This record gives sequence, structure tokens and C-alpha cells, in this order.
Amino acid sequence: MGLLRYTLWRFAQAIPVLVGIVTITFFLANQIPGDPVEIMLGPTPAQEQVEAIRARYGLDRPLYERYLTYLAGVATGDLGQSIYFDRPVAEMILLRLPVTLLLMVSAFAFAIVTAIPLGVLSAKRRNEPADHVSRVVSLVGVSTPSFWIGLVLIIVFAFYLGWFPARGLVLPWADPADVRGAATRLAVLRQSAHHLFLPMIALGTLQMAQIARIERSSMVDSLQGEYVTLARAYGVPESTIVRKHAFQVAQLPVITIVGLGLSTALGGAVLTETVFEIQGMGRLIITAINNQDYELIMGTTLVFGFVYVVGVIVTDVAYSYLDPRVTYGDD
Amino acid sequence: MSRPRTTRLSRRQILAGGAASTSLLLAGCTGGGESGSGSTDGSSDTTDDGDSSGPDPTLYVAQVKGPIDMDPVVINDVPSGQIAGQIFDGLYEYGEDVRIQPKIAADMPTVERDGTRYIVPLREGATFHNGDPVTADDVVHTMTAPVDEQTANASEVNMIDTAEVVDETTVQFDLKYPYGAFTTAMVRSVVNASVRREDPEAYNQEPIGSGPFRLVEWEPENYATVERVDDYWDTAGQPAVAGIEFDPIEEQTTRVTELETGNVDIIETIPPQLYETVESNQSARVTESPGVGYYYLAFNCANGPTSDPRVREAVDYCFSMDQAIENFVEPSGVRQYSPYPASISAEWEFPVEEWSAIPHDQDIDAATSLFEEAGVSTDYEWRIIVPPDDMREQIGITIGDGLQNAGFENVEVQRLDWGTFIQTYQSDEGPNSEDAYNMYTLGWSGSPDPDAFAYYLLSQQTNGVTNGTFHGYDEASAMLTQARESADYETRRERYIDATTQLLEARVHLPAYNLNNSYGVNDAVDGFSAHPIATEVQVATDHTTVSVSR
Repeated sequence: MGLLRYTLWRFAQAIPVLVGIVTITFFLANQIPGDPVEIMLGPTPAQEQVEAIRARYGLDRPLYERYLTYLAGVATGDLGQSIYFDRPVAEMILLRLPVTLLLMVSAFAFAIVTAIPLGVLSAKRRNEPADHVSRVVSLVGVSTPSFWIGLVLIIVFAFYLGWFPARGLVLPWADPADVRGAATRLAVLRQSAHHLFLPMIALGTLQMAQIARIERSSMVDSLQGEYVTLARAYGVPESTIVRKHAFQVAQLPVITIVGLGLSTALGGAVLTETVFEIQGMGRLIITAINNQDYELIMGTTLVFGFVYVVGVIVTDVAYSYLDPRVTYGDD
Repeated sequence: MSRPRTTRLSRRQILAGGAASTSLLLAGCTGGGESGSGSTDGSSDTTDDGDSSGPDPTLYVAQVKGPIDMDPVVINDVPSGQIAGQIFDGLYEYGEDVRIQPKIAADMPTVERDGTRYIVPLREGATFHNGDPVTADDVVHTMTAPVDEQTANASEVNMIDTAEVVDETTVQFDLKYPYGAFTTAMVRSVVNASVRREDPEAYNQEPIGSGPFRLVEWEPENYATVERVDDYWDTAGQPAVAGIEFDPIEEQTTRVTELETGNVDIIETIPPQLYETVESNQSARVTESPGVGYYYLAFNCANGPTSDPRVREAVDYCFSMDQAIENFVEPSGVRQYSPYPASISAEWEFPVEEWSAIPHDQDIDAATSLFEEAGVSTDYEWRIIVPPDDMREQIGITIGDGLQNAGFENVEVQRLDWGTFIQTYQSDEGPNSEDAYNMYTLGWSGSPDPDAFAYYLLSQQTNGVTNGTFHGYDEASAMLTQARESADYETRRERYIDATTQLLEARVHLPAYNLNNSYGVNDAVDGFSAHPIATEVQVATDHTTVSVSR
């Protein structure tokens, strides 16, 4: 099976998974006690008003009918209407998704850029002080919740030192005319980076620690391989052995952990966005749940599920692409 | 499968991208005082004041939450109302307190037909931001559209039977029943009917008002930016700031930090534990005003032991509400002894002192003997439900502790999500059982009229809807209805006093507290003060002009 066919086949396999996500989310959300219209209105004596609003959003129809309507809508790209915002769910998601993606991409970039050298260094200097430091950093990173890291960063770097803003995000593609104090594109980018720095570290620390741990153990294995011994016997310089022989082979488990780290990062994004007051998907899903906004809960969950499924597929495809021993489903 | 040839290149590209990102981030790290955006995600920074719209600076306001809507016909939340208040004018507006004064109206309304007809004269010369004059048709549409379209705030004007344009400068409202609080219902933002009718959804995105500021841009649940209307029709209310940027900062510590660092000029709602921080700040101050709200403990008067007034009095003896408020609410709120906020009590000259003598101090012996007299076994399983709010939960826990001190071991204080809470205490099938709750803590905010509190929370007409007590005090309930349907001030006042005294003595409710509307204000801001109405962030009105000097 070729790469393209394999990729398409994996995406086709994802369809029932997404239908499953929609189905489970739909019925779970509708089992939550309470009523979104009553939450929206609060206690109100106007019962006819409650009924009119329920009818407007189709909440007066049987559950199965609403489910089928929703499925049909999703199939055509219509994610429904948010009760809380009174706007199309897709519109709200399009507004918020880029913010979360920016945060996640930055966090992963930070994690990869810091974790790989850390892991390699740790493996190369195994059981030396540098290794111990690296392992302690990784252990602390894995064990510390992102929201706590975020709060500490805010207290130290925003409150006491005043080096970084404590909240918000400037999008790098924002029009300079709309960004206060930024007359040029470069100024917008600088402000964006300035705002992104703390949330990026808060969200990326866990990924960094996980990747560093895997990188280290994978590099340790790799450096003990027979091909490395052979290379050393041939007198190949150590730096070349690490860079060319050991490193590449050691990256396969790292790629897996990066792909699977997407789900953790999505969960972490909810907390990070809350701590840093960033209006992304994480805040949106919290708003949806707090207000029992069924359509918004389903829409945001579906997008989270989709991002995760895509992450897993890309990991699988990359894995097969990089490792000749892995086939595209051929026997 | 062939071995990929591009692996190394891809890795390099990734590394190059990473390096570029890192460089960019490091560049950002050195960016020091530059931060903030007025448009992308609500962050703000006043250290570099890039105002370009005139010599007056922009005012930066941190709200607790961001706006949801911009069309006054559909707005049903405080943050949206605070912003819409800058963009729109109403027929009437609040003064420095809860008394109202004409704005687009030329004078106070003429009331006829035993309080069922209100005739309002309009001022000439009021215009919308697009140049359209504010007409009688705009006023009629403003007052009738919520019910016609069944919007979430329709109950605020659903007493209107018909609204008519009498002539170009006169509007007449006929009510379904006499409604003494109708004047406050007319403090609604007047919308541009012709523009709104064309496309209501677009109007919610890009509203056209007649207020001192026009909307520049906004994002739902996020920021909003308004700019001064230079040719504002009401010269008495001309703003002294170039514009206002509203940003939501939900995390209270962050909000206070942003005030301390000077990134915002005004922050909304100071939590009790941070009052001292703001007050001790050299360059900021606190302004506060008791809000128009009421927080209380209510009993299930229909079922279970609390249907006996002796048991309700025993519960009152179990704990000290004064102490609980001091511990958990002050200085963010004040003790309240009746359903009416201080501003209403003052305006209506209610006997607050008399009512404040009704609740008991803690006396466990007195409580125990009353429980015994009423035959309540110490095995009884008490259930107190509270909404997802820390202060109200603490009141519930305090009562639970008091009951335990009185010998009851089975006391459950259950914090419920809003949806579950409302579903539990509302009922259209008669009184709730004692299994649902014996007591609940709740709060209410309304318009500055006694009816907004007494009728909704204590009348039998609202049993199972906004009144979960299901009390049997028919006479008191009838008086509340009479007060509601009378246009005579003295009659209303007497009815409210008599009914309220009776219900407080019967301990249908134990009034608890009212929250202050509090703001932290940078000293660079002049002229701003908190208002009793939560939606009133008064920056440019006929009596208030807020300015900023940097």
C-alpha cells in the first residue's frame, strides 16, 4: 500500500471514531442535569418565554430526532447554533481555534527545541552531573501541573519582575493598526512573542520533560547499539557517531510521544488558557460546559477529537515513513 | 517502501523553524514595556499610550467577564450591558444613585388610567451615530421587540400590552396591569429600529446607538473597544476620554495585578481578600457602592420540619448570620436585614432598624429546646443546597455547623451546578419535598424597585419559579400583589412594609447580605465612582465626566 493510500485509509478509519465521539458526547451532554435555557434566563416567571427559546433551538424535540439532525448537520459541515453566544458554533470555533493552535505549536516547538538537546546531552554524559540535572529537570517537569507552573511564572516574571505580561495574547497575524504600540509587522511579532513566552513554557514544560526522558532512554539504547560500536572501532569521531548514527535511530519513540502528547497538550491548553486569560478553545469548552450549551460542547469536543485523531494519524504515517521496518499495512 | 530521502532535510527545517521561533521569542523577551493589544485577545498595556484619536487618552477597563451581545434587545448579561451603556442612550438614565432622570425623554412620564398608561414626551435633536434622528418608532421598537422576538430579557418589558406612536415626539405605553416599577423598565437602551429591522443579527455585531461612544470592534466573551463620538448630540454628556477599551480578566488576582502594574485604569469587583492590597496601593483607590441585590437563606416551608415556624426560628438560633457575613463576605459586601437593598430601603423609607432586630444571635440552648418542642429527632437528615458560589456555600456550611452544634449529625450541604440547582428548586408540580432541600441559599438582583425583590422571591404567585419556599402566608402574598398593581406610592409602601415584616418574623427567609459593586481605580482616573446598578459604568453622562491624566 502506498503512502497516500495508507494515509487516506487511516483517515477513512477515523470517520467511525469521530461519529463515536459525536454520539457519546451528544448523549452524555444531554444527560447533564439542568437546562441550558434555564441557565441562560436564570429563574424567570415567563414560562412561555422558556418554551419559545427551547423551540428556537430545537430543544423541544425528541432526543433521537435532535441527534439525527445534528449528525446530518455535521456531515454537511454545520455544527449548529450556540445557545449561549447565539452564533454558529463553527464561527466561534474558527475564532478561537487559531489561538489554541498557536499556543500548542509554540509549546511543542519549545518542548522539542529544549528537550532533544537535553536528552542527547543526558544520554551522552550518562550518570554524570549533567545527566543528573537533566533527569531532575525532566522529573519535575513531568510531575508539575501546567496551571501551577503558569501561576508561578506569572508571580515571578509578571508580578515581581514585570518582564512579561500576565495575561492575553497578541496574534502574530494581527493587523499592526489594531495592536496598540505596534506600528509595524515586526513590532506585532515581538509583542506576540512577548505575550506567548510564559504560556508557552507553562504548557510546553510537560511535553519537554516527557520528550527529554524518552530522548535520553532512546539515545542510551542507541549509543549501545552494535553499529555504534562498529563506528567507534572504525575511529569515527564521537560527535559524528552521536549526530549521524545514534540520533536518527533514536527519534522514532520521540515522534510517537510527540504525537500522543497532543491529547495532553489539549487538556493542558484548557488550564493554561484559563491561567493566562487567553480566549482560545480551552476557555470556549469551559464556557460551553458551564452553560450546558449542547451544540457548543459537541462542536468543541468534536474539534478536540479531530485534532487528536489527526495527531495520531500523522504520527502513524510519520512512523511508517521514517522506519523501513514498519509497513503500510502490507503483509 | 523506499527509505525516505527527505528525513534529514525535514529535521533541519524543523530545527531551523525552532531556532527562528526561539529567536523571535527571545526578541520578544527583550521587548520590555511593549505589551498589549487592543484587538486580538484582550490584553492591554497603558505604559505606551498609542492613542491616535486625540489629545485625550483612552480609558482601560478590566471587566470580570467579556460581553456576549451588543444588541440591547437581546442583551441579558452584565458585561454586555456595561459596554452597551456607553454606546446607547435610554429614554431615562440613572443619576448618581438609583433615581432616574430623563435622557432621550424630555420629561418624566405622565401616568394615567390607574397606573396602566404611561405617556412619554421625547427630546428633539437626539441622533444615532449614523445621523438618523431618534424617533418615537425607535422607542416603540425598543420596548416591544424583546417580547415580539421572545429574547432572553423579554420578562423586563412583558407587562406592556401596547406601545403606540402618538406623534413624532410622544410615545404611549398601555400596560396589562398597573406596574409601579415601569419607569425603571424605561431605562432601556434605545435601538435604531430601521437599521435593526433590516438585519437583527448584523445589528448585534455592529450596533448603531445614540450614546457618547461608538463601537469600534469587539469579540464575544472577549474585548470591546469604543471611541468617542465627537458630534455627540447631548453636549452635556460629552466624554473627556478618547475611547474605552474593555477587557475581561476573570482571574481576580490577575485583575488586581494589572491595576497595580498600571496596565489597566479601572478593574471591576475586588474580592474580599484583595481589598487591602488595592487600598494599600499608592497609585490606586477603591470605589464601591452597595449593589441592587439580595442574598439569602430560604426555607422549604411546605414540607419537612422547616414547615414549622418554630424549627425555622431554631435554625436561626443555631448560628450567627452577622458573624458569617463578617467572616466570608465583608468587605466585599454588607449585612442586609430585608429583601431590599440599602438604596431601595432608603428611597422608600423602610423600617430597616425594626427588621434588623428580628434575627437572633446564636443560642444553641434556645435552638435545642425549640427543636425538641417541635419534635425534630436528632437523627433527622438535613439537606441544604447551595449554588456554585463560594460565599453562599460558606453561609450554607455555617448553618450546617450550627445544626451539628445543636446535636444533628446528619447534615449535608450540597453545592450544585447552576443547571442542577435551578432544576432542584424550581417545580411546576407543587411544593418540593424535604428530600429535595430543607433550605437553600440564593441571590437575586433586580431593578431598583421593591417589586423586583418582594414579588419574585416571596409572592405565592412565583411559587416553584423564583420562590422555592412555597410558604402559606396568603395575606402577605396578597399584599405583595396589591403593592405591585398599585401606582400609589403610599399604598405600595404600606403593603411592602406589612408583608415583609410578617414574612421576616415567620422566617420564610433569613436575609443575609448584599454585595458591593466595587472597583479599583488608578489615581490617573478622575471622576469615576461605583454605581449601585451593576451595568452602570458611568464614564460620560449628564452628571459624570471621567477623565484620565497620564
